[in-house]
Amino acid sequence: MDVVIADRLQFAFTVMFHYLFPITTIGLAPFVALYTIEAARGDEDAARAAAFWTKIFAINFAVGVVTGIPLEFQFGTNWAVFSAASGAVVGQPLAMEGVYAFFLESIFLGVLLYGKGRVSPGLHAASAVCVWVGSWLSGFFIVATNAWMQHPVGYAIVAGGRIELTSLAAVLFSPFAWWQFVHVVCGALVAGGFVVAGIGAYYLLSKREITLARRFVDAGVIVALVFAVLTVFPTGDRNSANVTQYQPIKLAAMEGLFETQNDAPLAIIGMPDMHAHALIDPIFVPDILSFLAYGNFHANVKGLNAYAAELWPPVEVTYYAYHVMVGLGTIFVAIAVLAGFLLRGGRLFQTPAVLWMLMLGMPFPYIASEAGWVVSEVGRQPWIIYGIMRTSEAVSPTVVNGEVVFTLIGFAGMYFLLGVLFLYLVLREIAVGP
Amino acid sequence: MSVLAFVVIAGMLAVYVLLDGYDLGVATITPLVARTDREREGSMQSIGPFWNGNEVWLIATGGVLFALFPVAYAVSFSGFYLAFMVVLWLLMFRGIAMELRSHFPSAIWHQFWDACFAGSSALLIVLFGVAIGNLLRGVPLGPDGYFSGTFGELLNSYALMVAALALAALALHGVAFLVMRTSGPAAERARRLVPVLWPITLVLYIAVTAATVSERGIGWNWIDCIPILSLASLGAVLLTSLRKRERVAFGASSLWLASLLFQAAATMYPYLLPALPPGHGGISIFDAAPSPLALATALTVTLAGLAGVIVYGTFALRQMAGKLTVEE
Repeated sequence: MDVVIADRLQFAFTVMFHYLFPITTIGLAPFVALYTIEAARGDEDAARAAAFWTKIFAINFAVGVVTGIPLEFQFGTNWAVFSAASGAVVGQPLAMEGVYAFFLESIFLGVLLYGKGRVSPGLHAASAVCVWVGSWLSGFFIVATNAWMQHPVGYAIVAGGRIELTSLAAVLFSPFAWWQFVHVVCGALVAGGFVVAGIGAYYLLSKREITLARRFVDAGVIVALVFAVLTVFPTGDRNSANVTQYQPIKLAAMEGLFETQNDAPLAIIGMPDMHAHALIDPIFVPDILSFLAYGNFHANVKGLNAYAAELWPPVEVTYYAYHVMVGLGTIFVAIAVLAGFLLRGGRLFQTPAVLWMLMLGMPFPYIASEAGWVVSEVGRQPWIIYGIMRTSEAVSPTVVNGEVVFTLIGFAGMYFLLGVLFLYLVLREIAVGP
Repeated sequence: MSVLAFVVIAGMLAVYVLLDGYDLGVATITPLVARTDREREGSMQSIGPFWNGNEVWLIATGGVLFALFPVAYAVSFSGFYLAFMVVLWLLMFRGIAMELRSHFPSAIWHQFWDACFAGSSALLIVLFGVAIGNLLRGVPLGPDGYFSGTFGELLNSYALMVAALALAALALHGVAFLVMRTSGPAAERARRLVPVLWPITLVLYIAVTAATVSERGIGWNWIDCIPILSLASLGAVLLTSLRKRERVAFGASSLWLASLLFQAAATMYPYLLPALPPGHGGISIFDAAPSPLALATALTVTLAGLAGVIVYGTFALRQMAGKLTVEE
């Protein structure tokens, strides 16, 4: 195996496995904080809800921390040329993540988990809020790092090819970073909403914990509804606009558009054929891609064929990941709107079919979030820093493929074990109940 | 400014060693002092609220090193690839053991994670010791500035001696913490370890110091007074432990470790990655540093953040302080 492929596989595997857990912690943190605040005000049901969700949160947090450790160091171990050249810029948000987010999260999670009865209820609730803030801040800094790799700003290239920081503010307040961050948080809140509603639905269908289960479904559906809509518009739309403006080749790969054309149609389904450079069995909606990209039904959209093939990202992966994300995002809106209407009419708790949908829907926001990152990262290829450094030039010169394959297998074994343990423990907590 | 950056990195690593050092130390001595399931759980609970925050000092140092000295970060992490991966896996195992043990009420489950907890922690201390040992000794660097040695060369006798010192010193630190934080039979047994661990630590310290002087040569300056502080604080650890002044003993142990790390940093300065044989350069803080603007930005942001961490960290620590009673 080529060392670049081995490095990419290793990073993709470790980061995608890791990201499953931050989705939950980012999405559940507000629920934990709000239930803990209500508990501090004397609401006994909320206290049970807070204790239950804190347990689920803690297991997720633990696996998230454990699988996050390698990521902080993998830039240096596997991507030494990238790190040495760009550390003055990308090191900044990563250092800030450690100093501003990780400490806040982990110190106050200690108080949240071990402090009940030792500290005042007010401080206990404040700790939950600090954990919430910490988990979102962490998300922001890591997305800011990624956004810089997508759309570099606030830098200058100096002698020797080193990339120097010229403005930290430009890096942190890049519009690319903010829209990406808000989109990521909305996606995580959809997951959080679906998990809370889904577990509530499970208890309702099992005819246990009825009072709490109704609160879970109620809160979860509202959060899922609001943020499923916000994930699509405006945050998803703004991200597409950024891609259209700064990464037009990625846009063409996402949409499976090979030929440059006016009145470009949107492919709802279809399979990219990499030999014929066309979609197989597509279903098109006329003119919509032109409109979505440029706000004009007749606008000219550049296709992949307009660019040298060596600048294309892997088209199939980018295309399918994008369609999975968008398709699921649309389905989430539909389910959440349906559940929201029934909830408003007071009939949701008596409609088993929709409760089933909510329960079985739980894994899908995770798939959509992961697919979104695949679009973002695979679609960025062949660049590691868009337009500046190629991924193939970024790997560590002293690390050979044998080593990377060995450690990749090590990570695979370790994460398999971790995944089994995680599922077992979470399912057990759910079975035991609040 | 590069000097300040070096101080920040060394300082953050020192805080990491003082804080996570007691976590690792407690874990290492647990099989020796805790005989029952409840006692082993007690020793985990003694560090439960703190270990994760403590470990963040290491993770955050990684991030700050990336920003302040990108070249050193890239060269050292990729150069010691396998060693680093093993450290990462051990850190992961320690974390999994800490977090998952209490989630399932089964003696077999507990025993398994207790063994992982103690084993991974002790091995981590050894590997950190080996790492510091090699940094003090210097590492072979190729003409392109990248590490040119092998994994096996890292396990040289000098580095292993430093690792033994690290194991003894952090076990003693763990004893001081466990005795301060808990009471019960396990704490009493830990107290009886002091007269065993202390002389071993002293002998290893003298041996490592002698070996360092012979490896690196000696030039008299004010830093050579630090060993007096080290010996004094190590003596204080023994005296205060025997008199059951637990908090003072933990403080003395922290001072002793800090003095060791100060000597290590002073020996390396101004190199982040000294070359082998000594005196042949290496990657220094000056040639691995980014532009003044980037350094100033990263330093300001880091120091401001750390000031906040120290304030709320101390506050949270006080809220959670107090003795745990581990009864049978």
